[in-house]
Amino acid sequence: MSDLAIARIADNARTPPRAHVIRAIAAKEWLEMRRDRRLVALFAFAALLMLAALAFGASENARISRERAAAAEADRALWTGQSDKNPHAAAHFGQYAFKPTSPLSLADPGVDPYVGSAVWLEAHKQNETQFRAARDGGVAGRLGSLSLAFILQTIAPLIVLLTGFASFSGERETGTLRQLLSLGARPDDLLAGKALALFSASVALLAPAFLGACVAVALLTDPSKLSLADQFVRLGALTAGYAVYLAGFVFLALGVSALAKNSRAALVTLLAFWLANSFLAPRLATDIARSLAPTPTAQEFRAAIAKDKARTFGHDETHPAYIAFRDEVLKTYGVSRVQDLPVSFRGLTLRKDDENGYAIFDRHFGALQAAFDRQDALRAATGFLFPLLALQPFSMAFAGSDSRAQFDFASAAEAHRRDIQNQVSDNIIHFQHDDSYAAGSELWKRIASFSYSAPAAAFPFAHSAQTIVALIGWLAVTCAFAFFAARRLRPL
Amino acid sequence: MLEARNLTKRYDGAPAPSLDRLDLNVPAGEVFCLLGPNGAGKTTTVNLFLNFIDPTEGHALVCGIDAAADPLGARAKLAYIPETVMLYGALTGLENLRYFTEVSGATAAPDKLLSLLLTAGLTEEAAMRPVRGYSKGMRQKVGVAIALARNAQALVLDEPTSGLDPLAANEFAALIERLRREGMAVLMVTHDLFLAKQCGTRIGIMAKGKLASVFGADDVDHPGLERAYLDLFIAEKAA
Repeated sequence: MSDLAIARIADNARTPPRAHVIRAIAAKEWLEMRRDRRLVALFAFAALLMLAALAFGASENARISRERAAAAEADRALWTGQSDKNPHAAAHFGQYAFKPTSPLSLADPGVDPYVGSAVWLEAHKQNETQFRAARDGGVAGRLGSLSLAFILQTIAPLIVLLTGFASFSGERETGTLRQLLSLGARPDDLLAGKALALFSASVALLAPAFLGACVAVALLTDPSKLSLADQFVRLGALTAGYAVYLAGFVFLALGVSALAKNSRAALVTLLAFWLANSFLAPRLATDIARSLAPTPTAQEFRAAIAKDKARTFGHDETHPAYIAFRDEVLKTYGVSRVQDLPVSFRGLTLRKDDENGYAIFDRHFGALQAAFDRQDALRAATGFLFPLLALQPFSMAFAGSDSRAQFDFASAAEAHRRDIQNQVSDNIIHFQHDDSYAAGSELWKRIASFSYSAPAAAFPFAHSAQTIVALIGWLAVTCAFAFFAARRLRPL
Repeated sequence: MLEARNLTKRYDGAPAPSLDRLDLNVPAGEVFCLLGPNGAGKTTTVNLFLNFIDPTEGHALVCGIDAAADPLGARAKLAYIPETVMLYGALTGLENLRYFTEVSGATAAPDKLLSLLLTAGLTEEAAMRPVRGYSKGMRQKVGVAIALARNAQALVLDEPTSGLDPLAANEFAALIERLRREGMAVLMVTHDLFLAKQCGTRIGIMAKGKLASVFGADDVDHPGLERAYLDLFIAEKAA
């Protein structure tokens, strides 16, 4: 036997399963990426950027939490330190309900900077949240805010595209694709192996963010107020969502690379999509959603409430509704004069007016939130094509910084306001016998301070079905596209 | 082993077929050298055996498998060495060999793969460094090692010694001869009449997509082969 025959080996070699081939392709791609210093530098830069954003987010989160806790304490001291006065005057004096920061908002601040952090709870009115960080921050603050979510939503896919755009087109240009296909390599296996490697790189990109977020959440979560396990469930869901988002970009890059005539064409196509997804689609989708599901301006909203409130009597004793209510009360108690009532009529009118107001507020604020929900649904409808439209609401929901979380907080604050109003009115009903009546610190202290716990992880799951389906759709569409492209793969 | 039956390829819009009803059979243990001017249809023939393009008519068979009907099956029996073997620059010669071997569906231990590279004429030091610094001859040796590792029954070469220095070309020719003796069927496309005479058992000359003439390598001397080639070339020019 010749030395050549001895050297040849494949006679006895078993044909390995396709998984082995796919693993070999992935290992080679991974090895090449590791040896590409430019790529390693790019990933290292991205990791540093994410950790910096995370550190900044954690520091901001801690600062805001401290400030709100101090403000809440000071506000409570003001409330309990009120002098003796009529309870209704105290209700007008009011108090603040501060929104506690979600630990995960360090990664995705969501709508928090735009919707405010505190609600002024006062008699007769359900106020909107105020103290908006975005308004106070100015232009520099808006441009300078670089959140982890922004990096993962915008920069991370760009890195994936830059890493993967030449996966097939580059091999075609250098001639290695011809070499590979001549060996009987299956295009599907090539795609699967390359996708595995590129996705592993994406996971490597996510890993520092995930680990950093784990540490930050563990440090920032107050176990007496929030379940740490719940925060980690949210973090796990966020990580899975971002992984699906990036996996879609992996398949998109590979599919375009397989179909493109050359690497330059692949890069231009992918960058065009990236621009559309990152900047054009969100803007267009928002405008379309606003036109299809319009929301009133703040002035229109307040005017509409005021118009409805005008139908209630408030403090107007000549209002027909006031007179009707008085007659009804007198009839109920079987007396002919207000002075003969065994309880304070003023307290009854205050409670009745509040109850009338509750229905109006519920209708208007509910309609507003429903309009926001419709806008969100419309924006996310094309999330399977432009995945940022699905990922953004998904990310905000699980970070606890979306409009629904805000609505949940505002609802809790309003419930607390109503509790205050009810207690104050009840006190007046039972204890006020003349206009000189004044309650003291005992009542102010009895009225509990506002306490709010963010909803459990089931809450964002329950409200994110559409975005979850859109993200899975995005992955399915890009995966199908990539396999379609791979099957049309030609070496020439 | 390698068989073309009425194999024809006409590209869209082309006035004449690039390959016109080629009939060819290369059995085991034979090196068939295809000569011919540029555009004669040599590379088209190679691409059809690899099913990189689909035939317009006819069949390209590898060990009886129709390359168009079952490209993966045909390629599994076939090794291919192009004019320049393209490799991954960041990987060593050994890593390249291991990768191409595994992708083809074969497996081998690193020491076995190294022995193949040594057999193909690469030094151990060269096998262990990235191929971005390899000469063309060294790349061709890795290509031969890939073909050996796959234990293919047929080998298709597309101008494999183009650009090689005479020593490297001679070493390459010796390797082809050894593969032939092992029973491999070899179809080699070349412009090099010396190489064709040196390696070939049969030599065909193509012109305008047709196999114009075929010689047994022992039936023609080098001047005779050169004359036949030039006559065809001149006739083609005149036409």
